[in-house]
Amino acid sequence: MAIKLTGGEVYDPAHQIDGKQKDLYIIDGNITHSLPDNEKITHTHDLNGCIVMAGAIDLHTHIGGGKVNIARTMMLEDEHAHPHLGNHICRSGNGHAVPSSFTTGYRYAEMGYTACFEPAVLPVNARQAHMEMADTPMIDKGGYVLLGNDDFLLGMLQSGADQSAINDYVAWILNASQCIGIKVVNAGGIHAFKFNQRRLDVDETSPAGITPRDIINKLSRAVHELGVPHPLHVHASNLGIPGNFKSTLATMAAAEGLPIHLTHIQFHSYGTEGDYNFSSAACEIAEAINSTPNVTADVGQIMFGQTITTSGDTMMQYFGHEHAHPKKWTVMDIECEAGCGVVPFKYRDKSFVNALQWAIGLEIFLQVNDPWRVFLTTDHPNGAPFTSYPHLIKLLMNRSFRNDAFNIIHQDAQKMSNLASMDREYSLYEIAIMTRAAPAKILGLTDHGHLGEGATANITVYRKQDDVERMFAKPALVFKNGTLVVKDGEVIETVKGVTHVVKPEYDKSVEKSLSKYFADYQTISLPNFKISNDEMIECIGSEVKVHPCTQG
Amino acid sequence: MQYENVTCPHCGILCDDLSVEVSESSVTPLNIKHAHCLRAFEQASIKDADLPSPQINGQQTSLDEAINKAVDILKTSSQPLISGLIADVQACREAIALSEKVAGVIDHANGPYMRANIAVLQRMGKVKTTLAEARNRSDNIIIFGSQIIERFPRLMERVLTPNKSLGADNTINKKITIIDSQAQPVNQQFDQANINYLRLDAPNLESVIATLELIIHSPAESEQDCNIDKSLLDLYQQIIASQYTTMIWYTGLFDNVAAEQTVQIITQSIKKLMEQVRCVGLPLGGSKGEITATQVATWQTGVPLPIAFMGGTPVHNPVLYDGVAMLENSEADALVWLSTYSSDDAPPKTDIPTIVIGHPGLQIADTTAVYIPVGIPGIDVRGLACRVDSVATLPLQKIRNNALPAANDVLNKMIEML
Repeated sequence: MAIKLTGGEVYDPAHQIDGKQKDLYIIDGNITHSLPDNEKITHTHDLNGCIVMAGAIDLHTHIGGGKVNIARTMMLEDEHAHPHLGNHICRSGNGHAVPSSFTTGYRYAEMGYTACFEPAVLPVNARQAHMEMADTPMIDKGGYVLLGNDDFLLGMLQSGADQSAINDYVAWILNASQCIGIKVVNAGGIHAFKFNQRRLDVDETSPAGITPRDIINKLSRAVHELGVPHPLHVHASNLGIPGNFKSTLATMAAAEGLPIHLTHIQFHSYGTEGDYNFSSAACEIAEAINSTPNVTADVGQIMFGQTITTSGDTMMQYFGHEHAHPKKWTVMDIECEAGCGVVPFKYRDKSFVNALQWAIGLEIFLQVNDPWRVFLTTDHPNGAPFTSYPHLIKLLMNRSFRNDAFNIIHQDAQKMSNLASMDREYSLYEIAIMTRAAPAKILGLTDHGHLGEGATANITVYRKQDDVERMFAKPALVFKNGTLVVKDGEVIETVKGVTHVVKPEYDKSVEKSLSKYFADYQTISLPNFKISNDEMIECIGSEVKVHPCTQG
Repeated sequence: MQYENVTCPHCGILCDDLSVEVSESSVTPLNIKHAHCLRAFEQASIKDADLPSPQINGQQTSLDEAINKAVDILKTSSQPLISGLIADVQACREAIALSEKVAGVIDHANGPYMRANIAVLQRMGKVKTTLAEARNRSDNIIIFGSQIIERFPRLMERVLTPNKSLGADNTINKKITIIDSQAQPVNQQFDQANINYLRLDAPNLESVIATLELIIHSPAESEQDCNIDKSLLDLYQQIIASQYTTMIWYTGLFDNVAAEQTVQIITQSIKKLMEQVRCVGLPLGGSKGEITATQVATWQTGVPLPIAFMGGTPVHNPVLYDGVAMLENSEADALVWLSTYSSDDAPPKTDIPTIVIGHPGLQIADTTAVYIPVGIPGIDVRGLACRVDSVATLPLQKIRNNALPAANDVLNKMIEML
């Protein structure tokens, strides 16, 4: 029982295939390049005039967890302004900036995405994040669990705990929360905010008696030594503050050459020059990425329009609340672990700051040389809803389109940006790298993000057209694990997807000190904190797929 | 057999430190003593032989027949109301799917108590904390209404008076102020040295909260105002001098008509204080699983309860789709009542055909169209529940075997047949 995809132009950077016409077969949910003698073709798709890529992967998108639900509740106007009818296979829903869970799954699939990763899973909120993602159909999911503001780790660092003890705790939390990576948000800053501290720089000692640099350093080493494929995923200090590029560079350096991923780096690439004391430091940041092979980054591009920002960074969300649009905001301290801040924003092209933010994001995309180390994100929904990706791809691929857009932003912002002088246009091959091959590689998803023999048959087929925005917005076909789920940009069959996790080994005696910590201080018991595989399936509603860690 | 770390879903605090002895059909918590907490376990201790069968109009029937009848009722209903929702995540998921399938309205039994907090979140946002954060970080607690302690029996022990804390000693020996108006009866249990029990000369709690807000926004002027109670001026100074003040309220104690305004005033007070010091809110609730129900509804539909599906998309409107009002005004022609936690939560009296999917101890009138007894989450059925702070989700264990089906399975069968 094989499906044949014939005549398509294949872009598969993992195998250096750049637009070559090539036939593919789908057998039992996997890709093969030749048809075994005993297999019969049940269906052939003629893909002449089409582009074939692996299913896209979003490695940083806020799609599950308490902060997303707070955002949905706060943005009733957005929800009701964007109703989505159900049909005999799809559930109804609402929302553009923060869509309901079913809607999120359908919209991602309709754009050819087959896996998405929630980058801020609070350990105590992990069940809810996984439940929301389990109710997000069509795509595979995974989460990065938040550390670096939790009293347990800060206590360990403060008391000078061994790296091996830290590694055990990190491995334990990955197992307990069913996640695939570790995230740090404003290292130590969320904790400091609970002590009424309103700013914390990378080398400043926090109320916990340690510096953000210590936290990044120890956690990046832990992730590396445990063999977790995804590097420490870091939301750096001082988000949104003019001049913050220096703390971003300091954060990169804190990893001391070990792999580190800087997320939504656009929000961390600001200088202080010019009449507004706000300028682009995209060049400095891009140069640093270019010259530091251990660093990867996703951009967190902003797009003009209404959205809502959701972040674990209470400190900086509180700082930004004065710019809320509409005028409402939430901050929340959470369970001696973390926090969250939810602030609606309307990015305006006639605002100097917003216009320059938009330009800075694009400058970073265009100045980072290696598409394997820069990823296409809007930090959904913080920079813009994920549905703006096709527009963003067009901005990257089409210089004249980009310059036309540049010419209508705030004039003073135009003067502060060299975007118009940048000739680079991303190729389809490079887009396939940054949205498929590279995210799969950096997440350790060996059978995703490519079209090689034996890969999971997550395949997106686009009908070739001059307008790449239209092309990427509405794929002709999307296969998820070999099932045709989207045709002409519309869902025709629903599937569930799995949860990708890692389960690094650790010394089980770590639970001894954790048991005492939970008994003494927490309001949930340790056994109930941990999420088992069978709970994932039976109660939460998602099957777990474990990816190997390669220690050493 | 004894089970450890059992979660009690009978108030929003979701204590998960219960040791429960299961002997034949009886379930007995061994390490809690509060009558409120014990009551639901006593209600659950039903012998297998006494478990009710499904019923149609008071007559025993099979599960399949009962489901068929329920489906028939819903097929002919033009405006069904799905309510109660006193249930775990899985059952709430299915109840929402059912509401969508029948183009109904869905609301929670405690809907009116949820509205104020949700409306204020929609209008201005919030500043909040969670149980462990309040326990370890807070040195100053202000409780609006002494009855809160009775509604949430283990709040003191679990959150407000910890033996140990991650913070300094003043977070163990927190300053606790309980505010009431003199119109409220004296609560004798707070006549303790460590609790500042302020019973103020004010017509109601709401007016005390409004006065505190006035002080917070205009402290200098308030000092000069001889009409303002000095104890509230002192309380303001205490907030300013504290490291982390937590304000606790339960909208069920507020005048329902004014609750939204009251919550808004508290939120404005907290946001004003945040300009200077750390201050947070901790709204309580969730005694009938309403946090769980509205969380699930919000992520699945994008909007909180109550929700109407008759236009084909989920629409939230707390006035038009208030479940209680819809029944009072005869705006629904069939009721699905989901109530699995306790035998106290019987369906409201109504003339319209009622389908009850519920606790095996519910008292069901013979006029009830369909009654399908189901397993109790956390005892007969494994499940998940969301805690009052909307952050922690706790597992509900299955600690007893019996023949009762799970509510979500029953609802799912109904959906498949519709």
